[in-house]
Amino acid sequence: MSRKMGYFGLDEEGYDRIYSDRELFSRVIKLFKPYRRSMTIVIIFICLSSVTYGLTPFLMSLVIKQLELESNPLILIFFIINILILNSLGYVFNYVNRRTGNRMVYGVCYNLRRQTNLRVLEQDLSFFDKYPTGRIVSRINSDGQKFGGSVTMFTELISSFLMLIIVLIPMIFISLLLTGVFMLIVPIVFAFTLSFRKVSRRKSVLGQRSLAQVNAFVQESMAGIQIIKSFRQEESQFENFQAINDQSFRVNMSRALYLSILFPSLDILIAVLYALLIFFGGNFVTQGVLSGSDIYLFLQSSLILFAPLLQIAGFWPQFQEGLSAAERIFALQDSQSYIKQGDYILDSIKGKIEFENLGFEYVPEKPVFKDFNLEIQPGETVAIVGHTGAGKSSLTKILLRLYEFQSGDVRIDGHSIRDISLTEFRRSIGFIPQVPFLWADTIENNVTYGAPDAKREEVIWALEQAGGTEWVESLDNGLETFILERGKVLSMGQRQLIVFARVLLQNPSILILDEATASVDPFTELQIQESMERVMQGRTTIIIAHRLTTVRNVDRIIVLDHGKIVEEGNHENLMQKNGYYARLYNTYFRHQSYEFISSIKSKISETNP
Amino acid sequence: MKSQRLKSQSAILKNNSEFHLEEDDFLETRHKGVRSWILSHMFYRSNKYLMFIFFALIVFTSFFGSYIYIIIGKAIDVFSAGQSDQVVSYTFIVLFIGLGTPILGLLGRACREIVAQRIERDVRREFYLSLLGKSQSFHDRAPVGDTMARATNDVRFLNFLISPALAMILNAIINLIVPIYLIGSTYRLELMLIPIIFSIIFILYLRRFLRRLTPPTVSRRIAFGFMNTVLNESLSGIEVVKSMAQEEHSVEKYKDSAMSYRDAGIEQGDIQAKYLPLLLLSITVTLGLTIAVFYNRAGILSVGAVLGLVGLLLQLRFPVNASIRSFLMLQEAVVGAGRLLEIMNKKSEIFDSHDAVSKEIEGKVKFENVTFAYPGTQNKVLKKINFEVSAGQTVAIVGTTGSGKTTLTKLISRLYDIDDGRILIDGIDVRNFSLQSLRDQIAYIEQDIFIFSDSIFDNISFGRDSSEEQVISVAQEAQAHEFIENLPDQYNTEVGERGVQLSGGERQRIAIARAFLTDPKILILDDSSSSIDSETEERIQKAIFKILRGRTTFIITHRLSQIRWADLIIVLNQGEIVNQGTHEDLLKNSKEYQKIFIKRFDKTLDDLLGGD
Repeated sequence: MSRKMGYFGLDEEGYDRIYSDRELFSRVIKLFKPYRRSMTIVIIFICLSSVTYGLTPFLMSLVIKQLELESNPLILIFFIINILILNSLGYVFNYVNRRTGNRMVYGVCYNLRRQTNLRVLEQDLSFFDKYPTGRIVSRINSDGQKFGGSVTMFTELISSFLMLIIVLIPMIFISLLLTGVFMLIVPIVFAFTLSFRKVSRRKSVLGQRSLAQVNAFVQESMAGIQIIKSFRQEESQFENFQAINDQSFRVNMSRALYLSILFPSLDILIAVLYALLIFFGGNFVTQGVLSGSDIYLFLQSSLILFAPLLQIAGFWPQFQEGLSAAERIFALQDSQSYIKQGDYILDSIKGKIEFENLGFEYVPEKPVFKDFNLEIQPGETVAIVGHTGAGKSSLTKILLRLYEFQSGDVRIDGHSIRDISLTEFRRSIGFIPQVPFLWADTIENNVTYGAPDAKREEVIWALEQAGGTEWVESLDNGLETFILERGKVLSMGQRQLIVFARVLLQNPSILILDEATASVDPFTELQIQESMERVMQGRTTIIIAHRLTTVRNVDRIIVLDHGKIVEEGNHENLMQKNGYYARLYNTYFRHQSYEFISSIKSKISETNP
Repeated sequence: MKSQRLKSQSAILKNNSEFHLEEDDFLETRHKGVRSWILSHMFYRSNKYLMFIFFALIVFTSFFGSYIYIIIGKAIDVFSAGQSDQVVSYTFIVLFIGLGTPILGLLGRACREIVAQRIERDVRREFYLSLLGKSQSFHDRAPVGDTMARATNDVRFLNFLISPALAMILNAIINLIVPIYLIGSTYRLELMLIPIIFSIIFILYLRRFLRRLTPPTVSRRIAFGFMNTVLNESLSGIEVVKSMAQEEHSVEKYKDSAMSYRDAGIEQGDIQAKYLPLLLLSITVTLGLTIAVFYNRAGILSVGAVLGLVGLLLQLRFPVNASIRSFLMLQEAVVGAGRLLEIMNKKSEIFDSHDAVSKEIEGKVKFENVTFAYPGTQNKVLKKINFEVSAGQTVAIVGTTGSGKTTLTKLISRLYDIDDGRILIDGIDVRNFSLQSLRDQIAYIEQDIFIFSDSIFDNISFGRDSSEEQVISVAQEAQAHEFIENLPDQYNTEVGERGVQLSGGERQRIAIARAFLTDPKILILDDSSSSIDSETEERIQKAIFKILRGRTTFIITHRLSQIRWADLIIVLNQGEIVNQGTHEDLLKNSKEYQKIFIKRFDKTLDDLLGGD
């Protein structure tokens, strides 16, 4: 693991980038665009409530002035009633502003999450190969929450500014000189807080990354819990967790302690200022320049002022957390998907597939295919065989547009797949992955995943085709049995059957079968195979064969080796040819045989007596 | 770094979970409920001193924060009286208090931050530990995304409870008391009634406020967990989502969860917006002003006193304003803690019995009338299973999909407890073994091998303190050394989620190497795979047969060759043993066995039956 500043695993992700504050702000403002009306209401009502609350001390001082003048009690009552009305209005204004503001912030965060989720789902698979799920989840959900929290600070900022102005105006009238002394502090306070900004941002980013790291770690240990248990490795797992958890502690502690210096330091600045005000103010009063109630109002007002002033000053360093959250989310949104998509909609796919001079690599400089050519006719069944790393799975993933190829072209019915609209295209391809993936949902909904409108009878039909429904009936709630996350508790074979049925319902024009290396017993496999053969009729089918028993009946076998076709033909032809395929086939069956096992057994006994 | 506090063999087991450490300081309070649990964390070990300093300082600084108003009032009276010689001394008093308060405040803040971050760390540690101690049936049912949400976000709210919520609340209490006291002590006793009545209504309202906040807070936390679950699941299954072009479906699902999160947040906000004490405070202050005016007219209070009184009443806005946020945070923390305790207090179905034994296993395994249904379901996956294996034998388990093969093997290492019957190892019920000793001596090579995002080395050594030579040697035994040497960083190559993706055969050999290192007495091998890659295949077979030697082995396989090599073959059908015996017996006598194998190999059946 790479180390940075004494921390491990807290480096930036490949898609992270640095935005200028201006860029960030314009992005954030864009998010608020749909809420222009709410924003207007919030601003208006913040102004109104700030004015009402700001005017209260002023009105009170008027009442007290009247006391000094010993004026008519009716005037006093008049003032007092006005104060009460003003304050009640203030409550209403505050209510409207808070309610609208909160709704707006939650709305914005909701949109932000939705957008980000959408953008992430648009990424091609190479993205998910690189970035752990747990960290992406943390970024969308937790950083989204952080961002929301900071936005609320933003609306408070507006009200602070208003308070500042409203309270400052009467102060100027009382004494310009004292206000001048007061204003001296402002640039110092701002210079001071701005110096916190950079470090604060860095520490916030680290804090968020360490939370994402914890998230990813918990996710992985929960996903692998069974193996942890079986090997009784809870302790070592716990130690690894401790390391990450302790790091998160250190990172967050350092951020918290750093930020906790901010406000007490500002308080010290303010104390100095206040002492100055007392000194000058005291002298003014004793010299008769100002009256007692004037200086009282001035000092009282400046005390009221400190809160918004500190809020404005402290906003910037504290808002760094929101900005870094926004930056992390925007970076995720802006990461480029390499898959290009056209808008041509193929109505009904006949199923002709052409790979022309295809060039493809996962990692630069390590090509999987170079000038690869292959043509598959509509309705043809093709099996691809070859050693591990020959490029079998890559070929189908390119066809599915899960990865972008670098050169050459792939055409479906004569159209480049880059020009085709992805949704319709992928829906007309049935893909059966090597490891079946099920959703935490009912069996029925898992089967209808690719065809949500399918009826109950169709679901039963599909399951029948995929090897029978007996096992479903034996479950507690039949088709409505709820499958736990990833299909835990169902056997691997049962999961495969569901996936088969799912693809059957989808009724695809092209079928891609990445044959499972594991799981189904020979009897069930035979059943599936028979139904697959029925299903394959009239569709173009590509089988990535891991068991040579499947390939005997296909139209054409393509033997791949290191991204190149070394042989092609049907089973009989290739066997007669006695080349690569024949060798593969023979060794495969030899490996299934008793002699082979016995020979290995005796070999081992010889070497390790 | 090895923790010495591991308690697995120890006899006193109050903590009934699969795994825990010797010291569990929160065991008792966890069961007493949210409040005492949170308190026990707050005052845990040295936290209590820090909390004490923090409390003391906050009382001190809040008091002086209020007291400065009195000083200013006095100063103005003095200045108005024309005593210019007092100006300097008042300047210094203000400076002294003004400087002293933040310096002490900084110390208090540091204390509270330390406690807050510690609580986050300790609670997360406690929660994670409890997750490790839960039985497999719990993990089968707990959505990973929701567990993640609890471990990160719900835990974090406990941090926020201390910093800043608790500080704000304490500050508020003091800011509520000090003006009341000062009004009474400086002006007139009966005037205290105004803020006292206000405070009583205020506190009563806060109780109601908390109660009303509970439902939306609970639903917001649940919604967050659900949002995490949905997102985590759709990203885990991204290949399926994409290949079936069902992005929209995923987006919709996520949208729904994000929407319920938003709605709960809005409901919280609406309750906060209605916060009545703001209005109440205005009424109180005007009332106070009115009364003060009357007193002034009656000649009881001076103008300066009216000013001071109103100033003190206005100070009540600090507790009023601070409580809107701090009480929501308090509620979030309580709800979050409840969600954590909900999981932590769930009893693990599996734990060491008080007289659990740790002993070396020889490897005799016996199933007696074993019946099993997955917890929470009725469907009996295994029914009255009976068989016996001597130490060192190899048992092949065959059967159609869903017949209970994998389940049967999971019961031996007690990943689940059976409903009826007994499983005996060397004549001892597995429930009487300590889990540590049982699982240490059983190795499991699963069907769908899980690789951790870690180096190859760590994936093989898997928590053991193994030397480089040991790891290389087991990798060689497992026929994995060669391909590992060809990886970019050899044994240090990062694999798993963000590293190099390993093929099925490579994963399998890593798992075999892992098993070699543990040198188990009983081995469970779920090997239904077959690779067409002849070289790989040969290597895997070599590795498998090497590891079988000298151990009791349960192998789930469909490879006739392996099956024929087994000492005993068990044929399962719908959870029942329909036949057991050797290959030749079964081929002749078992319809189920024939059904599984004959059809497929009809072409080569003669060769296979012939054996040679």
